[in-house]
Amino acid sequence: MSVADGARDWFAELTRAEQGVVGFIVALTALLLFGLVTGGLAPTYFLYLVGLVGMYVLLSFGLNVQWGYTGLINFSVAAFFGIGAYGTALLTAGNSPVGADGWQFSLAGVELVWVSGARLYGLLPLTVLGLLFAVALAAAVAFAIGIPTLRLRADYLAIASLGLAEVVRLLFLNQRDVTNGSAGLRGLPGFFDGWPVLGTLPQTLPGVQVHELQLGIPGLFTTRVLGFTLGAPFWQALLNVALVLAMVAAVFAVLRRVHRSPWGRVLRTIRSDEDLAEALGKDTYAFKMQSFVLGSVIMALAGVFYAHLNLFVSPGDLEPINTFYVWIAVILGGSGSNRGAIFGGFVVIAIREGTRFLGEVLPASFPLDLPLVTSTYATIVNNFASTRLLAVGVLIILVMRFRPQGVLPPQRELIWPASVAASAGPGETTPRETIDEETTATATATDPEAEPEVDDAARDGGESDE
Amino acid sequence: MSVLEYLANGLVFSSIIVLSSIGLSLVYSIANFANFAHGDTMTVGAYTALVTFGFVGTLGAEVLGLPLGFFLALVVGVAVAAAVAVVTHKVVYEPLDVGSIGLLITSIGVAFVYRAIVQLGFGTEFIEFQIPLLRPIEALLPFGIRMTLHDVAILASTAVLVAGLHALLQYTDLGRKMRATADNPSLARVSGIRTDRIEIWTWVIGAGLAGAGGVFLGLYNNISPRMGFNILLVVFAAVILGGIGSVYGAMAGGFLIGMINQLTPILPRLGQEIPFVPESFGIPIGIEYANAIAFLIMVAVLLVRPSGIAGEEAT
Repeated sequence: MSVADGARDWFAELTRAEQGVVGFIVALTALLLFGLVTGGLAPTYFLYLVGLVGMYVLLSFGLNVQWGYTGLINFSVAAFFGIGAYGTALLTAGNSPVGADGWQFSLAGVELVWVSGARLYGLLPLTVLGLLFAVALAAAVAFAIGIPTLRLRADYLAIASLGLAEVVRLLFLNQRDVTNGSAGLRGLPGFFDGWPVLGTLPQTLPGVQVHELQLGIPGLFTTRVLGFTLGAPFWQALLNVALVLAMVAAVFAVLRRVHRSPWGRVLRTIRSDEDLAEALGKDTYAFKMQSFVLGSVIMALAGVFYAHLNLFVSPGDLEPINTFYVWIAVILGGSGSNRGAIFGGFVVIAIREGTRFLGEVLPASFPLDLPLVTSTYATIVNNFASTRLLAVGVLIILVMRFRPQGVLPPQRELIWPASVAASAGPGETTPRETIDEETTATATATDPEAEPEVDDAARDGGESDE
Repeated sequence: MSVLEYLANGLVFSSIIVLSSIGLSLVYSIANFANFAHGDTMTVGAYTALVTFGFVGTLGAEVLGLPLGFFLALVVGVAVAAAVAVVTHKVVYEPLDVGSIGLLITSIGVAFVYRAIVQLGFGTEFIEFQIPLLRPIEALLPFGIRMTLHDVAILASTAVLVAGLHALLQYTDLGRKMRATADNPSLARVSGIRTDRIEIWTWVIGAGLAGAGGVFLGLYNNISPRMGFNILLVVFAAVILGGIGSVYGAMAGGFLIGMINQLTPILPRLGQEIPFVPESFGIPIGIEYANAIAFLIMVAVLLVRPSGIAGEEAT
């Protein structure tokens, strides 16, 4: 069987939605590659976009742990992202008022901690310290906001987290003596600066000259393609992409393992019926707290990556709209589905960059002179920030209206691969697992449409009790 | 500025918060979800009034330093905010089958759509009503209070609206039906109340009050597309303090949160203003954190008494 046949078989086995998603990703990649080849998209910027996709995938993973697995509504994704970005930037940025370079801490003449030349103890790169600090800060904030809200109904967390997002933004904006205020922190090192080998790799790699090609039919048209030089910035960007891919892969592996574990099953039970989980003797508050902190830490990781990708952070990165980009990624991709979260990351970049691209490409005024149409067109084309907001809002409404379970609801990923292979039935599993699967997993596993209905039934039941 | 003046300002700002938090709480109690589009409904009301005022601004005699045209614009703003909310309810919320959490998420989308349309129509700049600023009322100056007739107009209008709502809830058929529906929708339905109609009336009243709050906020400060979303946190804090779902709790919560919000500047010199407290006592916090204080109060309420002043069980 040839590769093409294999691919065709694989494609035919997918569900309709999966085929659509594959088509979308292939089309988007093709579009980006087309831009790359024709010179519309510089290679470094292309890699920057890939990095941003990875960042949104990480953020979506984080929200997925909270909302998708456990049903916790977190409207402060941007805040935890910002805490991650600022956490590392405060220690490593060149103009940080509290930068760690030059720190010394000695006790009884023995130097315990010293930072110099962007290394801790002369060994550990400072960026690693920044990463650890950012993650710890995010975990602490998540814990603090979880205490008052996680014992209450789900909407209290939604309200409080929206407030938290605003307060965190205000703090970063106004505490000028620590965060440098609205000017932001600049002069961050790349994540691998100060690392052995990797730190200097982009400079040592040779520049590659890609020659320009002329394509076309002689006499009709010709077009010039390629023709750029790949130097140190390109290798640097490639290194960043490798970093984010490593992060995404690691988080994905951890989440997949966790999702199938007994811990993950309790979370899904909480999501569909919290009373049931409590009746089974689970401390739902503790489980919700663990899930909330885990999700927030993943969001902070995305922030750390962003800070060392962009080399500049400012309070503008904490705008609420960023939170809802991630929400779109998760609910469109499919709440509780990590494959869906990956797809969602691509969609967000398509929205962000697509509207920007359209804004540049579309003519400023409508070619035909029709009343109303012309003025509406001009308004929409000339205000792309507002149009993007409109797109985000309309998309949220449409997803909730027509496909609340998302495009790729979790199906096979909830089951151990071994039990799929031996799909003889529940007789092969232990009795304990059978009970758990009856409550949650089988409903979602056998029928993708079933999960939201289970959720709704559980919620409606819960409401009428009150 | 004297403490009395801050209190006077707080009273005016409280009126705005009270109007909007009543609407939010009412919608929560009957439509059964936290409506994140409430702040942007205020924005819709404010911009509608702005446009209407442009047409009829010079109309009529002056009442409380405002031309009658302004009050006409207020009515139109309220009506349009209510109409927009009812249309949203019919087109977006009613066909949904996603439970109260899904409605909450959808309302964020609705909020963005409102704000995006306002931004597309009017740009993102701050705008003000074309009403000349007034001198402070002379009679109050000896007490150290600088308050204009416009502030009095806001206070008076709020008093009229709140009294009207109270009368509606307590003494009319519609009010009794609304309270019954909020209490127990299933029981209300089997008793023969058409709860779907009650829900529409809830949207009319809730969004109408939000629209009025938005117009007054525009008169008090200025108008911008983000005005409603920015104040949403304060309104939610008021609703939670009052007890989510309780209309009278929302009045009390709105009053307290609005007051504290405007009293933020004297917190650092609390000791100098209050007798029997050491001179040096004060809470060191800048006015840029006025909204953060509302958030802290909200968190404290959730920790100590999640049901708020007058709310039902929160778990």
